[in-house]
Amino acid sequence: MPRTWHRWIPAAAAPVVVGAVVLGGVFATSASADPADKTPQQVLELAASSTVDTFSGTIEQSSKLGLPDASGLGGAGTSGTSGGSDLSSALELLTAPHTLRVYVDGPSKSRVQILDDMAERDAIRNGDDLWLYDSKDASAVHSTVPAGASDSTEAPAEALTPAELATKFLDAVDPSTEVTIGDPVKVAGRSAYDLVLTPDSSTTLVSHVDIAVDADTGLALSVDVFAQGSSDPGFHVAFSSLSLDAPAADLFDFAPPAGTDVTEKTVPSRDDAPADGTATPDAGAHPEPTVTGTGWDTIVELPASADTTQPNDSSMLSQLTTPVEGGHVLQTTLLTVLITDDGRVLAGAVPVDSLLAAAAQ
Amino acid sequence: MSSSELGAVPASRSVTERRTRRSLGLGFFLSELAVLFRRRRTWAMLLALAAVPVLIAVAVRLSSSGSSGRGPAFIDNITQNGLFVGIAGLTIAIPLFLPLTVGVVSGDSIAGEANTATLRYLLVSPVGRIRLLVVKYLAAAVFCLAATLTLSIAGILIGIALFPVGPVTLLSGDTVSIGDSLVRSLLIALYATVSLLGLSAIGLFISTLTDAPVGAMAATVVLSIVAQVLDSLSQTSWLHPWLFSHYWLNFADLLRQPIEWSSFGQNALLQLGYVVVFGALAYGRFSSKDILS
Repeated sequence: MPRTWHRWIPAAAAPVVVGAVVLGGVFATSASADPADKTPQQVLELAASSTVDTFSGTIEQSSKLGLPDASGLGGAGTSGTSGGSDLSSALELLTAPHTLRVYVDGPSKSRVQILDDMAERDAIRNGDDLWLYDSKDASAVHSTVPAGASDSTEAPAEALTPAELATKFLDAVDPSTEVTIGDPVKVAGRSAYDLVLTPDSSTTLVSHVDIAVDADTGLALSVDVFAQGSSDPGFHVAFSSLSLDAPAADLFDFAPPAGTDVTEKTVPSRDDAPADGTATPDAGAHPEPTVTGTGWDTIVELPASADTTQPNDSSMLSQLTTPVEGGHVLQTTLLTVLITDDGRVLAGAVPVDSLLAAAAQ
Repeated sequence: MSSSELGAVPASRSVTERRTRRSLGLGFFLSELAVLFRRRRTWAMLLALAAVPVLIAVAVRLSSSGSSGRGPAFIDNITQNGLFVGIAGLTIAIPLFLPLTVGVVSGDSIAGEANTATLRYLLVSPVGRIRLLVVKYLAAAVFCLAATLTLSIAGILIGIALFPVGPVTLLSGDTVSIGDSLVRSLLIALYATVSLLGLSAIGLFISTLTDAPVGAMAATVVLSIVAQVLDSLSQTSWLHPWLFSHYWLNFADLLRQPIEWSSFGQNALLQLGYVVVFGALAYGRFSSKDILS
């Protein structure tokens, strides 16, 4: 064998070459021409002045909320119809990683596709028509956006895009938030400013929020929410590819395919969205929430209503929540939800004690 | 490639030498294909693969109890559109049947010749070891293509025979014409072929390790199953992007509107990595091995 040792050189070199290519790709994407220096205030203005309303892209979303994988909870989440309650679908969106494709052409045309394994959920808005399609059970929901409400009612799944999420955070920037600029980052091949929002509060669960603001357009490219004492983002959503060209027009022409169960809904409440991951689990209930606290310590309280917990959810609730004095608590790294024994639901990015104190008032 | 080489070689003698060698390589490849596809075993495997969509279609046709609500939705869809039978057949066959047949072909490639004591005669004739490896691998790759095409075409034919055929509903809810759906079926067969190239390279390497073809076949198939088991465990999630089976079922991305090409590219890159690594390993082993049989 010693005569032939050199024949193994390719075998030894191949993994090195493959590894070098992989690592080289990683480094090539991280190296970038830094954009011009800007103050945090200038970046905030850049983000606020963003006028991008026509783009298409792929979005990766993942979260480490410290919750169990919802797909393991009695088949909820993966089987659309059997566990299709608001709670399980919201949990599925919160706990499992997702890939989305987003196509937006102006304020009235949009399409969001959640790419599941061997399935897909679509939300299509074309003018006044709003379609939700789920390929798993071949069902579609059609609703009509009432005239005059078009500003506030974007397609619900759009709430998952970095831009929409960043807007929510940036709108909430107030004196209790310290805004700084981190090192420039590169997201989806575009150089971006890294805007860091740090709550000036000791009681919130949120350590800081990183928002990548595109240097050219001011569009938010990624949002990472970090929990206290964690170096990995508790919630991460970012474009993995982005094009600012207008998407093909026929993407927005949706007609339910033959054999689809079509449900007509007349009132397109914002809370109807099954794909709205940021909604609280009981988004189907309509009582007016009361808001206490300010800034990052805000606590939202939903008064008791008849259907806060469907029978379907109770076993799952007991698996997820821990009992405390006066109710049950769903504790995640970023959000705490308290369901009191009298049916009220309190939620906020605060520790349990704050919620209990608010519930006692 | 060839033109630059020809320019660099002044003597016409060596040019003709190269030409004969190259045509020899092609001829060797064709004869290897002929040997492969003249074997009764190869046809039996292709027939068994073709039987998968046929069985699915017949079973669904006979039961006709409507939507079962289990499994991928397009198993249910085949009652509405026969063109889905090929895709459903591929979905069923990808985890086990296709790796099984590919493991047999690639695991047999070198070890089979060694076992029947024909390997040294092959190498005595002017066939280099590298060329033998390359030709054996290419033949296995052609078998991968033949296997997936057989599955798809058999599925489409039985679907046309047993079920109504019409415009196809994609996962996105959009509907495309029959012609477009046939193109997508072909793309899916290509995707499955590319998916199997890494496993073929692994099989080729294992085949150089032993003179017992059955052992090489079994080891290859077992590896494909181990990879899929690891891919389904959340504890090994750091390993998932590196498993050759990781993208096997992502051909569903070709059923979206517009087509999501990223998984096709990622899959091709991953398989290329496996081909490079295990091809080099197979070269190291085979070229330094003493051929005794």
